[in-house]
Amino acid sequence: MFDKYTPPFTINYKGHEISVEKEQGNLIYRRTCEYETIEKILLEADGDFLINPIEPVNLPKPITSFLLIDFERPVMISPGSKQKIYLTFPVEMGIFITGKKGEHELIDILTLNRSKYTLYGDPNRGMICRYWKSEIFTSYPNLDTRYEGDIELDIINDTNHWMEVKKSVFNAFGMKIYYGTDRTSMRAFMRIINRHLAETGFMTYTTTPELRRSMEVYTARKIMLSSIKGIMEHGI
Amino acid sequence: MNVTAYMSSLPAIPGIVFSTVGAIIILIVAIFLGKGLTIYLQRSLKDKIDKGHLDIILKAGYYGLITLVIVAFIFPLIGIDRSGLLVTGGVLGIVIGFASQSIVGNLISGFFLVVERPIKIGDQINIDSNTGFVEDINIFSTIIRTYDGLYMRIPNQTVFTSNITNYVANVTRRFEYVVGIRYSDDADKAIRVIRGIIDNEPFALESPSPSIFVDTLGDNSVNIVVRIWAPITEWFEMKTRLLWVIKKTLEEHGIEIPFPQRTVWFSGEGQTGKLSGKEDNYLPEAENDGLPALQEGTR
Repeated sequence: MFDKYTPPFTINYKGHEISVEKEQGNLIYRRTCEYETIEKILLEADGDFLINPIEPVNLPKPITSFLLIDFERPVMISPGSKQKIYLTFPVEMGIFITGKKGEHELIDILTLNRSKYTLYGDPNRGMICRYWKSEIFTSYPNLDTRYEGDIELDIINDTNHWMEVKKSVFNAFGMKIYYGTDRTSMRAFMRIINRHLAETGFMTYTTTPELRRSMEVYTARKIMLSSIKGIMEHGI
Repeated sequence: MNVTAYMSSLPAIPGIVFSTVGAIIILIVAIFLGKGLTIYLQRSLKDKIDKGHLDIILKAGYYGLITLVIVAFIFPLIGIDRSGLLVTGGVLGIVIGFASQSIVGNLISGFFLVVERPIKIGDQINIDSNTGFVEDINIFSTIIRTYDGLYMRIPNQTVFTSNITNYVANVTRRFEYVVGIRYSDDADKAIRVIRGIIDNEPFALESPSPSIFVDTLGDNSVNIVVRIWAPITEWFEMKTRLLWVIKKTLEEHGIEIPFPQRTVWFSGEGQTGKLSGKEDNYLPEAENDGLPALQEGTR
C-alpha cells in the first residue's frame, strides 16, 4: 500500500477505492468509501502519487499537533534508569502528488481507525490532543500496519524516585515516521524530570535500515513557530 | 593683572542671557528625557499594543514630559509667573475635567484592558449582553462584530466595568442536552445508545469524560441529561448536529421522545372511570373523533 504510483492507477484498500485517471491533460483524483466520496481535479498535473504514513493528528480535521497515548497499563520505572518499551500509534495515510523536481503536495488523508480527541491538563491551560489507547509491549509487536504502527520509546527517569507513567504526549512537529512492507515505526524518548513534568521527542534515524522515511506534513518550515518537543507539564 | 582685576574688566553679562541659556539647556535635557521615555515605553508596550495606538501613547508621553518641564522649570527661570497660570490652569482643568470625564475614563479603562487582557482580537465574547467577535480594541472603545454581522462600538469604560464572558478563553467547554424518554422505555438502554453515539464522535472528548444520567422523573418523560466536553473550536457545530443524531438513533432502538400527555379522570354517576392505554377503556367518542391513542407508560 505505501508506495509510489504512476497515473492512471486504481487501488482498493479495505473498503476505500483510490483512483487517478488522466483526462485531457488533467488528473482526476477520486477516493470513494462507504460514507464519503472525494474527487479533485489536478489541472495540467504531471507527476507520481506517493502514499505513505503521516503524523496521525489530521483527521477528521487538524485541530492540534499533539498525540496523547494512553497506556493500557501503567509503567513503573526505577530512579535514574532508562528503559525501552513499545507502544502503538494510529496510522494515517497521506496521499501526495510529487513533481518532477521533487516538490510534493498533500492532497488527501485517510485512516481506518476511529479518531478521538482528549484534553491533556485542565480546561484553562491544557491542550487538545489526538487520543490513542495503547497496550504496552516490551518487545517489537507484530501489528497490522494498515491500522497501527509502533513507537519504540525510551523512558528516561532523571529523578531519584520510582515513577509511574500512564501516558505520553508527542508533538507532531518532531515526528519522524519510517515505513516498510510490514512495519510502520517511530523512535521516541520520554525524559521524566519530575512527577508532573516530562519531555518527549523523536530520534531522526532508524535502527532498521530497510525502512524508508515518510514524507512529513508537519515540516521544518513550521518549526520556527512551534517547538518540536512535547512538554508534559500536566502530569505523566 | 590679577584674576580679580581681569574679571572686573569683562563686560557684565545680563541675567536674561543666563536665563535663556539655562532654559535652553533644561529644554535639551527634557528632550533627551522624553526620547528616553519614548524608547522605554516602546520596548515595554510593543507586544501589548498595536502600532497605531502605541504611536499615540509615545507622542503623548514625549510631549507631556516636555510640557511639564517647561511649566515646572523653564517658566520660573525666564520670569513667567506661574501663579496666574495655576489659577487659569486650575479653572481650565476643572472645566476640561468635567467635559472629558468619560473620555479620560475610557482612556484609562482602555489602558487597563490592554494590561489585563481579558479579551483579545478575534475572541467571541459577551459584554453587557452584547455578543460577538472582538474586531478591534482601541484606546477609547472596543469594536465588536455581532453574530448578526452588525458593527458595535462599546466604550472601554463599559467594557471594563461590565461582566465579560469570553467564550474562547479556555481550550474546551461543556454543553448539555436533556433527552426525555417514555416511562415505558429502558433508561439504561437509552444511556448505552447515547454513550455509543458520543464514543463515535471524534470531538466529544475522551477526557473530561462525558456524563449521561437520569436527572429527573418529569411529568411526561424520564429526563436524561447528557453532558459533553468538546474543543472550543468544535463545540457549536457538534452541539447543533448531535441532538438530532441522538433522537434518530434512539428511535431506531425503539426508544421514543414523548410528547406532553395528561390522564383525565371523569367523575360519573356513582363511579369513577379512568382513561388508560387499554382499548376497552377508551371512550367511544374519543375513538370516533380520531384522537391519538394514549401511549404506553403515561398512565
